[in-house]
Amino acid sequence: MIDLALATILLPVLGAVLIALAPQPAAKSICRFFAGLALLSVLYLAYGFAAGGKVATERAFITLGDVEIVGFAVDTVSVLVAVAVVAIGFLVAIYSGGYFDVGNREHADIGRRRFWAFLLVFIGAMAGLVFTSTLVGQLVFFEITGACSWALIGYYEKPKALASALKALIITHIASIGLYVAASVLFLDTGTFSLSAIAQLPTGAKTVVMLAILVAAWGKSAQLPFHMWLPDAMEAPTPVSAYLHAASMVKVGVYIFARALMSSGGTPEIVGWVGTIMAVVTLVYGFVMYLPQADLKRLLAYSTITQLAYIFLGLSLSVFGSDLAFKGAIAHIFNHAFAKTLFFLIAGSLSYTAGTRMLPVLRGILAKSPVIGIGFTVAALAITGVPPFSGFFSKFAIFAGGFRVADAHPALMILVVVALLESVGSFAWFLKWVGWSVPGKPSETMAAAAPLPASMRLVLIVLIVMAVCSSFVATAWLG
Amino acid sequence: MSGFQIVNGLAGLLIVTSLLVIIARRPTRSAMFYALQSLVLVGVFVTLAGTVGSHELYAWAATSFVTKVVLVPVMMVRMFGRLDDPKLGSGERISPAVSVLLAAVVVVLCFAVVSGVALPAVAAIKPALAVSLAHFFLGLAAIVTQRNILKQVFGYCLMENGSHLTLALLAAKAPELVEVGIATDAVFAVVIMAVLATQIHRTFGTLDADQLTTLKG
Amino acid sequence: MVSSILPLLLLAVPLAAAVAVAVAPSGPTSSKFVEIVHVASISAVGVLALLVVGRTMAGDDVTALGNWLYVDPLAAIFVSLIGIVGFLTGLYALGYVRHEVAHGELTPAKHKIFYGFFNLFVFTMLLAVTSNNIVMMWVAVEATTLGSAFLVGLYGKRSSLEAAWKYVIICTVGVAFGLYGTILTFSNGAEVLAAPGGAIYWTTLAANAKLLDPTLVKIAFVFVLIGFGTKAGLFPMHAWLPDAHSEAPSPVSALLSGVLLKCALFVIIRYHVITMQAVGPEFSQSLLLTLGFLSVAVSAFLVYVQHDLKRKLAYHSVEHLGLIVLGLGIGGPLGIGAALLHAINHSFCKALLFCGSGNVLIKYGTRDLKSVKGLLRVAPVSGLLMMAGALALAGFPPFNIFVSEFLIFSAGVQEGHWGLMIVTALLFTITVAALIHIVSGSVLGKAPDTMVKGDVGPSMLVPMAGLLVLVLVMGVAVPQPVSRLIQQATAVVIGGDRTVPLAAPWQHPAPVAEIVAPARAEPRS
Repeated sequence: MIDLALATILLPVLGAVLIALAPQPAAKSICRFFAGLALLSVLYLAYGFAAGGKVATERAFITLGDVEIVGFAVDTVSVLVAVAVVAIGFLVAIYSGGYFDVGNREHADIGRRRFWAFLLVFIGAMAGLVFTSTLVGQLVFFEITGACSWALIGYYEKPKALASALKALIITHIASIGLYVAASVLFLDTGTFSLSAIAQLPTGAKTVVMLAILVAAWGKSAQLPFHMWLPDAMEAPTPVSAYLHAASMVKVGVYIFARALMSSGGTPEIVGWVGTIMAVVTLVYGFVMYLPQADLKRLLAYSTITQLAYIFLGLSLSVFGSDLAFKGAIAHIFNHAFAKTLFFLIAGSLSYTAGTRMLPVLRGILAKSPVIGIGFTVAALAITGVPPFSGFFSKFAIFAGGFRVADAHPALMILVVVALLESVGSFAWFLKWVGWSVPGKPSETMAAAAPLPASMRLVLIVLIVMAVCSSFVATAWLG
Repeated sequence: MSGFQIVNGLAGLLIVTSLLVIIARRPTRSAMFYALQSLVLVGVFVTLAGTVGSHELYAWAATSFVTKVVLVPVMMVRMFGRLDDPKLGSGERISPAVSVLLAAVVVVLCFAVVSGVALPAVAAIKPALAVSLAHFFLGLAAIVTQRNILKQVFGYCLMENGSHLTLALLAAKAPELVEVGIATDAVFAVVIMAVLATQIHRTFGTLDADQLTTLKG
Repeated sequence: MVSSILPLLLLAVPLAAAVAVAVAPSGPTSSKFVEIVHVASISAVGVLALLVVGRTMAGDDVTALGNWLYVDPLAAIFVSLIGIVGFLTGLYALGYVRHEVAHGELTPAKHKIFYGFFNLFVFTMLLAVTSNNIVMMWVAVEATTLGSAFLVGLYGKRSSLEAAWKYVIICTVGVAFGLYGTILTFSNGAEVLAAPGGAIYWTTLAANAKLLDPTLVKIAFVFVLIGFGTKAGLFPMHAWLPDAHSEAPSPVSALLSGVLLKCALFVIIRYHVITMQAVGPEFSQSLLLTLGFLSVAVSAFLVYVQHDLKRKLAYHSVEHLGLIVLGLGIGGPLGIGAALLHAINHSFCKALLFCGSGNVLIKYGTRDLKSVKGLLRVAPVSGLLMMAGALALAGFPPFNIFVSEFLIFSAGVQEGHWGLMIVTALLFTITVAALIHIVSGSVLGKAPDTMVKGDVGPSMLVPMAGLLVLVLVMGVAVPQPVSRLIQQATAVVIGGDRTVPLAAPWQHPAPVAEIVAPARAEPRS
C-alpha cells in the first residue's frame, strides 16, 4: 500500500530526471507517460485501499536514530486528495501538450524541457505532501512545491513573470516559518515529528503548533495577509495556473491544516476563532476584488482565494465540533480542484484560440466553440455552488455544519451569514459574466478564433463531467 | 635596583622606541628604530632570565636577537629602500603630537586593565605587563593611522613584539620551540608583506593605502 | 588515545608536494609533472584524511609527535572537510588553471606557483586542525594566511593585489589578537598547572580548565574570538573576506570559503570548550550568539545589494558562518550538533557554487551579474549545477542546508530564543531572494547573441557533480557515520562522555509516534 504511494511520488521524479537527459522533442511524451504511470499507481492504490476496507496505514521512511523524519500515511483523506492532484496533473500534462504549440495565439512556445520536468517534479512533490505523515515531511514538500511553482511562474522569463515568481516564493517562504515553528515545538515537546503526536501536546503547545500551521497554511493558500502572490502568479502559463494555483499547490495550505486538525485530538477553540474570522475577512476581501477584474485569469485567482477561504471556514468550524463541516471542507478541496481547473483551462483555451483572456472582448463563445462555452458555464455554476453541480454539495455541508455549531456560539452565526451572503454575491457576479460572454453572436475577437486542438478538447470534456460528478465521488468516498 | 625594576624601566623604553618607529618619516629609518626596539626587548629577556633564573629565556633572547634585531630590519632596509612614494609625504592621518597623546591614553588604559589581574606571579612586573599590552594596541593604532602601507607592516611588528613580551612576562618557562614558532612566523609575515608591497608599488606606483580603492561594497 | 603515524603522513604529503612543485624546473615539460604531483598529493590527502577519521571514529583519539598532533572527533570533522573539499576543488583546479594559462590570464610560471601554494595551503589548514599545541595552532592559522595570500593575489591585477594586501593585513592583525589570547591562555595554564609545560596542550588545558583564573580565561576568549573571528569572517571583522574571495582564482575561493573559514571556526570552538569548562557556558555563548546574529543580520542585506557573483557568494559565507556561530551560541547538544552539521553542509554547498562561479568566469569573462545572462542555454550542465547549488544554499529541500538550518532553528526554539530565531529566519528569506535573483537573472534568461554555446570540459564538471552528490546525500539522509561523528564531536564540545549517547532530542529512547503499521524497519533511504 505504502509502496504504491511511494511509487506515485517517485515515478514522476524519475520522469523528470529522464527529461533532463533526453532531447527536447521527447520531453512531452515522457512527461505524459510518467504522469499517466503515477495516475495508474494512485488509482490502483485507491482501489486496493477501498477493497481492503479503508484501513489507515502508516510507515516511517527516513529515520534518524529512533525518530521518524519522513513517513507516509495512507488513509481516506490522503487517498482522496492524492487521486485529485495526480489525476489533474495527468490531465494538465495532456492539455499542455496541445497548449504549448506554435498555434497558440497568446504565447507561441513549443514547451521547453524545463516545463515538463518541473511539472513532473511538482506532481511527485504534491503526492508526497499529501501522503506524508510528519511535519518535517510536510515542510520538505511544502518547500519543493514552492520551488517548482517559482520555476513554472517564471517560465516565460519576462521581467514581470520573474518578479511575480520571486514574490510568490518569498511570501510562501515567509509563511513556511510557521511550519518551522510547528515542527520544532512538536519535536522538542514530544521527541517526534509525527503528526499523530500533536494529540499528546499540552494545550498551550498545541495551540502554538496549530496556529503556526495555520499561518503556514494561509501563506500557501493565499489567504490574508499572504494573499498578494496569487493574482500576480497569473503570469504563469495557463496550464500551470490551472494546476498549481487552482487545483493543487494552493490546496497545500488547507490540506496541512486539515491533517493537523485530524491528528490533534481536539483543538483549542481559539484556533477555530482565528481561522473562522480570517476566513470570513478573506471571503469579503476576495469578493470585493472580483469587481474591478477584466482579465479572466485574475478574476479566477480572486475566486480561488475566496473558495479556499470557504475551505478554511469549514475546517475552522469543525474545531467547534462539526464533523459535517470538516467533511464538507475536504469534499470542497476535491470539488474545487476539478471545477477550478476546468475554469482555468477554459481561460487557457480562450487564450489559445482567441489570443486574449480579457472578458470584455470575449462574447458569443458558445456559438463559436460549444465546448468552451459549455465548459465556461459549467465551471461558473460549479464554482458558485449551484445545484446540481459539485460545489453545491460541499458548500452546503460547510454551511449546514456552521449553522449547527452556531447554536452554541452565537457569534459564529454572524460569520456564517456573512459567508452565505458572499456566496450569493459571487453567484450573481459570475452569472453576469456568463451572460455577457457565453450566449449571443460572436464578438469580433471570438469570430476570428482558431479551432481547439483535440487533446485540449478532450481534457475539457473530462473536466466538465467531473465538475458535475466529483461531489458524488467525494461523498461516496468519505461516507 | 632589582631585576624587576630594570624590566619595568626597559619596558618604558619600549614605548618610546615604538613611538619613534611610528613617527619616523622614512620607512628605512623606522626599520632602524625597530631594530633598536628589538634590542631593548632582548635586554628585557636577558634581565628577566637572570632575575627568574630561566634558561629558556636566554635562548629566547638569542633567537630574538638573530631574527628581530638583525634579520628582519636588514630585510626591511633592503626591500623598503627600493620603494618610494614622494607624493604620499609622511602618510600620517594624525599628527605626531596627537600620536604621542594617543599613546599616552593607551598606556594609561592598559595600566587600568592590568591592575585587575590577580595572578601572584605578575605582581612585581605589572608595569611591564601593562606596557606589553599597550604595545600591542599601539601597533594596532599605527596600522589604522598610517596610510603608508610599509608603516602598516611596522604596526604589525609592534603588535607582535607586544605579545612576545607578554608571553615572556607571564610564562617565562615556555618551551623554546614555542618562541621559535612565533618568531619564524613573524619573519615570514614580514617577508610576504614586503613582497606584496613591492608588487603593489610596481603595479599601482604608490604606497598609499587610500589609493587601494578598486574593491568596494 | 593512540599514537599513530597517520597524522604525520597526512601532513607530510601536501608539504612534500609543495616542495616538489617549488623545486621543479619551470617550463612546459614540467607542467605535466607538477599536475601529476598535485593530483597524487590531493588524492593521498583525501584517503589519509578519511583513514584518520575512521581511526578516530573507532573510538581512539589519534595522536602523533608526542602530544603535538591530536585528532579527536571534533578535529576529525574538519580534517575530513579539508580532505574531501580539498580533493574535489583540487581536481577542479586542473581544468580551470589550464584554461587560464591557455588564455593568457596566468603566465606559465604562475601555473607552478598556483600548485605549490595550493598544496602548502592545504598543509597549513591540516596543521591548524590537527595541532594540540595551542601555539602551533596559532602559528598554523597565521600560516594559512601567508600560504594563501599569494593565491589571492595570483592574477597580479590591481584589484587582486589590493585584495591580497587587505587580506594579509587584516588577517595578520586579527590573528595577532589570537596570539595574545593564546599567550594569555597558555600563561594562565602554566601558572596553575602542576606541570607548566602541559599548559601548551589543548587536551591538558581542557581537562584542567576548572583550575584556570576565570578573569584571564574571559579576556583570553575575547581576544581569541576577535582574532580567529577575523579569520572566520565574522562581522564586524569581515572586511577582507569579500575582496579575497572574489579576487582569488575560483578553486581557491572554494577552498577559502568552504574550508579555511571553518578552520578558524575550529580554533574558536576549541577555546569555547576551555571557556565553558572554566567559567560556565553563559559567557562565551552570549558572545557567540551576539556575534553570530550580527553577522547574519548585516550580511543578509549586503548579500542582497551585490551585483558581483563572487562577492555575493562571499557575503553568503559571512552569513552562514554567522549562523554556525549562532548555533554554537545557542548551545545544548542540539545547537552544537546542528552548528557542526551546518559547517559541513555549507562547505560542500559553497565549494560547489564557487566552482560554478569559475565556470561563469570562463564562459563570460565577468562576474557582473548584470552581464551574465542565460547560463543554462550557454552551458547547460554548469547552469544546472549552479541552479541546484543556489537552491541548496537558499535552504530548499531536498538539499543539505535545509536540514541543518532547520535543526539550528529547532535548537534556538528549544533554548527559548523565539524572537531571535524568527528574525533570523526572516533574514534568511532576504538571502533566498538574493539567490533566486542569481538563478532567474543569470542562469535563466536569454544568452547574449555573441556567446559561443558549449560547456566547460568534464574535468571541471565532474568534481562539481561530486559536490552536488554530497549536497544531496547530506540533504536526503545524513549517513550514519557522519551523524555518529557529529554526535561524538558534540560530546567533545560539551565535555560529556562520548560513549554514552547524549540526551539530544533525537536520542529520546522511545519516540511517542504511534506507528500503526507493523513494518517499521524500512531500510533508510
